[in-house]
Amino acid sequence: MSSRETDAKAGGLGRRRFLKTAGAAGLTLALAPLRSAYGQTESADALNIALVGLGAQGRVLMDAMLKIPGVRFVAICDIWPYARTYGQRYLKKNGFEVRAYESHREMLEKEKDLHAVVVASPDFWHAPITNDCLRAGHHVYCEKMMSNTIEGARSMVHTMRETGKLLQIGHQRRSNPRYLVARNRLLNEAHLLGRITAANAQWNRAVSADLGWPNHTAMPAELLAKYGYSDMHQFRNWRWFKKYGGGPLSDLGAHQIDILNWFFDVSPSTVIASGGKDYYPTHEWLDNAMVIYEYKLPEGMARAFYQVQTTTSAGGGYYEQFMGTEGTLRMSENPKYTQINREAAAPPWDQWISRHLLAAAKAPAKGDDDSSANDKVDARETAELAAYYLPVVLNKAIHQPHLENFFNAVRGKGTLNCPADEAFKSEMAVFKAIEAVETRSLVTCHPSDFIA
Amino acid sequence: MSENTPNSTDSGSTLALLVLRAWLGMRAVLTGVEKFSDSRTLQVPLLDAAGKPDSSGAMVEVTQKFYSLHSYHAIPDSMKDKFANEPLLPVFLTTPYYAVLGWALIALGIAVLLGIWTRASLFLMGLLYVSLTFGLILIKQDGGVSWLAIHVGLVALALTLTKYNRFALTRS
Repeated sequence: MSSRETDAKAGGLGRRRFLKTAGAAGLTLALAPLRSAYGQTESADALNIALVGLGAQGRVLMDAMLKIPGVRFVAICDIWPYARTYGQRYLKKNGFEVRAYESHREMLEKEKDLHAVVVASPDFWHAPITNDCLRAGHHVYCEKMMSNTIEGARSMVHTMRETGKLLQIGHQRRSNPRYLVARNRLLNEAHLLGRITAANAQWNRAVSADLGWPNHTAMPAELLAKYGYSDMHQFRNWRWFKKYGGGPLSDLGAHQIDILNWFFDVSPSTVIASGGKDYYPTHEWLDNAMVIYEYKLPEGMARAFYQVQTTTSAGGGYYEQFMGTEGTLRMSENPKYTQINREAAAPPWDQWISRHLLAAAKAPAKGDDDSSANDKVDARETAELAAYYLPVVLNKAIHQPHLENFFNAVRGKGTLNCPADEAFKSEMAVFKAIEAVETRSLVTCHPSDFIA
Repeated sequence: MSENTPNSTDSGSTLALLVLRAWLGMRAVLTGVEKFSDSRTLQVPLLDAAGKPDSSGAMVEVTQKFYSLHSYHAIPDSMKDKFANEPLLPVFLTTPYYAVLGWALIALGIAVLLGIWTRASLFLMGLLYVSLTFGLILIKQDGGVSWLAIHVGLVALALTLTKYNRFALTRS
């Protein structure tokens, strides 16, 4: 069963089912909208939400969800008491009195009126928590990567299919209107770039210190061991250790490799890569990696280079860039890194400008001494290209549209933008890159590899 | 008929003056009006090929130009900053100058276009361009000085042709 069928089968929460649930909870929907005890406007669309994992990403999602009408926090879960206290206090400030749990299983046993669970735990807990939540009858939004193992990710897709529940994976660019317009309108409708022959993407970060913790908040060894952690340092810096996460290619690369696959609308056919743990003495995962994918597009081969560096922020930020015979599109979640260039010989783009799909970039102001700005030093240089920008704006936190898409699907209003089986394809491409780094060889991908 | 009378008959010169009046008048009026212009950025729904809102719900920023009295700016702020640092341009002079510049351009432009006291209007317009040139010389905007020199030359040429003035609301 495809995810789209799963969506249909789940039918989201559905009005009838919600009425039944709400009735059991003693709500009087006829009086909706009401003001709840928490100061939030309640309506027939209100959803009871639990958040599992209150680390950095969980807090980002929590902030985004607080801006979404109809989302009602009822429970949080984290093994770290310090994080639970933070979450409870923060949500109380925002009008929600939530129950806090150390174990997600205890939470699922006690919370009987949940409609959905948002999972932002370390990667190695994604599959167990998500599978348990789905089996408990809840829809789930789970952060990417789906899992630190292929088996874990595959199990999530299988559980989604078995239970008929919704499982959205947090590749949030797929709900970002800027990315949707770029893919659906500029590439697929306008064919703005001509034939795309290459892509490159990167996320480079400056050197950073390991995360610490206030001494008085350290968890006892027994508690850490109960949940699979070796010590507090690994608990706080789990992203760098193989038994918990997937390293930078997974943490940062997964978002951008997902864009390569999504925009190309095909999975890669081969991968070569190089990377290594050359800088940080306390980490297990590689610091830097460079990956080259080959994509067999209907119009011919395209190659994509991806690099992630955690020892330098050089190279102009984070972006995904697609290069074609008629233009180049550089996308980024940060609009300041987004740019579109038209090749000199390409057909005019006036019609796309008039439809507001593009806007001409303002030429940089030239001073009196700037007359040599466009000078070539080699006659073979291509002249400087005309620059454009994407006028689409996102007035929300970058994760909010993806969460809204999930909650709307739960309500039966639309389908998921990144269901687990679709996310699996992209995440498999990440696993293939990691394999290529570790085996130092060309990895061939088969279409069947990308089907969970 | 005397060569100096307003009714001097030289159709070529009459037409030349008409063209100069039209150009100089339009140039001054529109330059003045533009000093009341501004632009604002609006967010509007992106439409699909059928003219319906895009399925992504995307909003696009669209820049719109508009005119209002509140938008009045005599000269760009960057230029105003430069003038503020010039000892020969004291604030007690520049402040009233900025206040009337746009209105003066519009009034003189209309007067030249319609032929209202054509000679005096052209003379005042010429002085206005000379005053602007004074400031640009001080801040070493040689390109702007050259442009204004062309304007001054055209005003002077028009003044030499005022004896052929026709299609004017006033005779002087």
